[in-house]
Amino acid sequence: MSAGASPAGGPHGPRADHHASAPKGPLTHLTHALVLLLLFALLYAVTRAVPENRGPAGTIASIGFLLLAGTLASELTEPLGLPHLSGYIAAGVIAGPHVFKLVDRHAVHELSPVNALALALIALAGGAELRLEIVRKGLKSLAWHSLVQVLLVFVTMSAVFFAARRLVPFAAELSVSAAIGVAALWGVIAITRSPAAVLGILSQTRATGPLAMHTLAFVMTSDLIVTITLAIVITAVRPLMDPSATMSMHELQVLGREIVGSIAIGTTLGLALSAYMRLIGRQLILVFVALGFGATEMLRYLRFEPLLVFMVAGFVVMNLSKQGDKLLHAIEDAASVVFVLFFAVAGAELDLPLLKQMWPVALLFGASRALFTWIAAKIGSRLADDPPVLARWSWSGLVSQAGLALGVGILIARAFPSFGGGFRALVVACVALNELLGPILFKRALDRVGETEAPPSRGSLPSLTDRS
Amino acid sequence: MNAIWLLMGLLVLSYLGSFLVGQHVLRGFGLPSGAEYVVLGFVLGPSVLGVFEPSTLTAFDPIAGVALGWLALVVGLDFGFVGSRRVPLARLGLGAFMALATGCAAAAAVFFSVARFVPALGRTDRTLLAIGVGAASAETTRHAVLWVTQRYSATGKVSSLIADIADSDDLIPLLLMGGAFALVPQATSLWPIPFYGWTIVTIVLGLVLGLVAVLLLGNDFRLIQSWGVLLGTSLLTMGLTARVGLSPLLATFAMGVTIAVISPHREEVVAMVRPTEHPVILPALLLAGAHVNLKAAPFLPWVAALALAARIAGKLVTGLVVRAASPDARGTSPLLGLGLLSSGSVAMSVGLAFALRFPGQVGHTVLFTAAAAAVFGEFVGPQSLRATLRQAGEIAEADRTPRPSFWPPRPSAPPAPPTPDQRPSFPGKGDA
Repeated sequence: MSAGASPAGGPHGPRADHHASAPKGPLTHLTHALVLLLLFALLYAVTRAVPENRGPAGTIASIGFLLLAGTLASELTEPLGLPHLSGYIAAGVIAGPHVFKLVDRHAVHELSPVNALALALIALAGGAELRLEIVRKGLKSLAWHSLVQVLLVFVTMSAVFFAARRLVPFAAELSVSAAIGVAALWGVIAITRSPAAVLGILSQTRATGPLAMHTLAFVMTSDLIVTITLAIVITAVRPLMDPSATMSMHELQVLGREIVGSIAIGTTLGLALSAYMRLIGRQLILVFVALGFGATEMLRYLRFEPLLVFMVAGFVVMNLSKQGDKLLHAIEDAASVVFVLFFAVAGAELDLPLLKQMWPVALLFGASRALFTWIAAKIGSRLADDPPVLARWSWSGLVSQAGLALGVGILIARAFPSFGGGFRALVVACVALNELLGPILFKRALDRVGETEAPPSRGSLPSLTDRS
Repeated sequence: MNAIWLLMGLLVLSYLGSFLVGQHVLRGFGLPSGAEYVVLGFVLGPSVLGVFEPSTLTAFDPIAGVALGWLALVVGLDFGFVGSRRVPLARLGLGAFMALATGCAAAAAVFFSVARFVPALGRTDRTLLAIGVGAASAETTRHAVLWVTQRYSATGKVSSLIADIADSDDLIPLLLMGGAFALVPQATSLWPIPFYGWTIVTIVLGLVLGLVAVLLLGNDFRLIQSWGVLLGTSLLTMGLTARVGLSPLLATFAMGVTIAVISPHREEVVAMVRPTEHPVILPALLLAGAHVNLKAAPFLPWVAALALAARIAGKLVTGLVVRAASPDARGTSPLLGLGLLSSGSVAMSVGLAFALRFPGQVGHTVLFTAAAAAVFGEFVGPQSLRATLRQAGEIAEADRTPRPSFWPPRPSAPPAPPTPDQRPSFPGKGDA
């Protein structure tokens, strides 16, 4: 067990019961449903009374509404065995610009800075959850799975895209070489996973078993793999798209500097965070806000990778200091609010009209990606000689896609403007499907293997519990 | 300065604020009203050094609005309570009366003077200005009273009375502001309701969402979900009222009062949000100071001076009324009202809320009046209050010299333990 690990059982240690709640009866659910309806009615009445409001009031109301509606919807979907994430996303979809328009496009756009804070927390938590002993134990499995998933899914999904290119509006007229290039870029999209969805599910369920830890370690490392693969593929396919272009090592050089620099900054930040928590240890929420907004902005300006920096920082705090559990506890407190907003906004951002238009292609790519992910997981498990739990379910957490895939889509669209718009639209449609279904699959798998059982708790309030 | 740097500056200030609440070594330092942050904001703002550009400040308007609403929620949660003790109804009435009388005096003085000397200002604007100035002039900040009683270890009936009054007068400025905002709502085309109806709507909205919060906090109080519930309900309250053009501060205050009265978890909720008060106040005061614009209206200086004079007169007269009405205050000086001249976060919140809602002559005059009252009160209020308490024999001889609280207690005069009716600490009140 690492220095920061708690003896309270499992890597989540003393936080294991921080989130859990007592079972709720039908009356509680009815109350929640009525309150949800009341909130919808209130916001509906006000948005109809003052329809043309582009000021901050609409955004502030949207934040409040999404927080409450997301929480209530998650409580209502809980008896169905669905993850809380699905509730948050559903609340966002229903209230969003494509259904009831209670949260309009302007508000959705204004809420995008929340993503920076959420992603910083996700990366910090993801890094901190990667305890050295767990990574060491599962290193062989992790390595095989990463290798097989990347190679197999990348190659097969590129092939599927190439074969089905006539169905894709922007790719139908491309030359063979250009179509191969676009297919390779689609392969990169296919290997992106969702650390946010995995951490969101684990944050709700407090799952600490082998499936949870394997999936977490996989998605956090896949983040780095995707970054590297993307740079390589963009460099390699550029001459296929534009015959006048030559393959340049410059992008790889930049990438190398970015990665090494990010690891160095992350290590420094991790040590600084450890020292802060040990010497002062107060107002971590303010520190997170400063990191999420200020540090992210500064790192982007300096062309480093914020997610990698925060992930390394979290890893250093957990494995090189005794402050890991404290960090995770603080992140969990902040994440209880930030995650609801992050996923509810993601729901509101879902482009339903686009999905409606592209659903056959999106379904084809989504289903084949899930299939090849499943096959790759089986092969990876066999090669790594995994225990039965992983051999059967390790694919389940890898279907979700969210912000990372969208971010990669935007980068590709910027790098290849000639087809970037259509490519990005297809990414959005596929992510919409995977975002809705992926978390449900992972939660179901965790339930099936019994990793989601946690005792009820009312949380902790030190100042009051100290009195008793 | 770009927005990120301003955000970082505000976070640093917020961080310092958290230490002012939580660390015993810093208690007793700083000015009781926080006026130094208003002045700092003014100096750094567009009017003087221009470190904060107007566009950057505008980008922070939503954050300022949310901070003000959150402060009003905290005030509402604590309204009518000193620690866990309820303020007696008579004292609650006395505090409200003092604020109402002072606020009305300032409002009337401004309304009639402006009608005479600034005829160009329309009736609605004049009314808004008068009510705004009245609201900004009504308060006595509880922080200043606590600052004095703690710094000089004052205990006794007069200290308790003044603390209760200062704690009870927050209702009036927020109510006045709610009424002023309701004069010009933004949803009149669909719902033609008179202004008092909109004021009631503001309060009812706060009440309904307060009930929602109580319901969601439930019997099984869980800290980790409670933040989501409190933040969600308060932001929704602020957003809905602001969208209709009503006062978010009155609504969140009503929400806070509802939670305090109905929820079985009031103490837990207060313990949760109390440590956030100071980290929110300081950046809000800085932003308020940065918004002060002396050139916003030609009548701004004399309206502020008039309001200040009316405030002094109002506090003096109402001080005499308190002296006559309350047996506990009989032995005090006739200048008791001067001790209640300190104003702070609530007055500045009112000023900034007006400046954000009515940018221009009206809003900036109200904000400047609030800032002037806070700075002036800083020079007069604490000194007068100390003199009043000394005369009442509630400041021990050995404690007459102010001393920072990190000095070790002197054996001859150890600080008196707080009485049950005193707040546990300044200004977070719960960190002792």
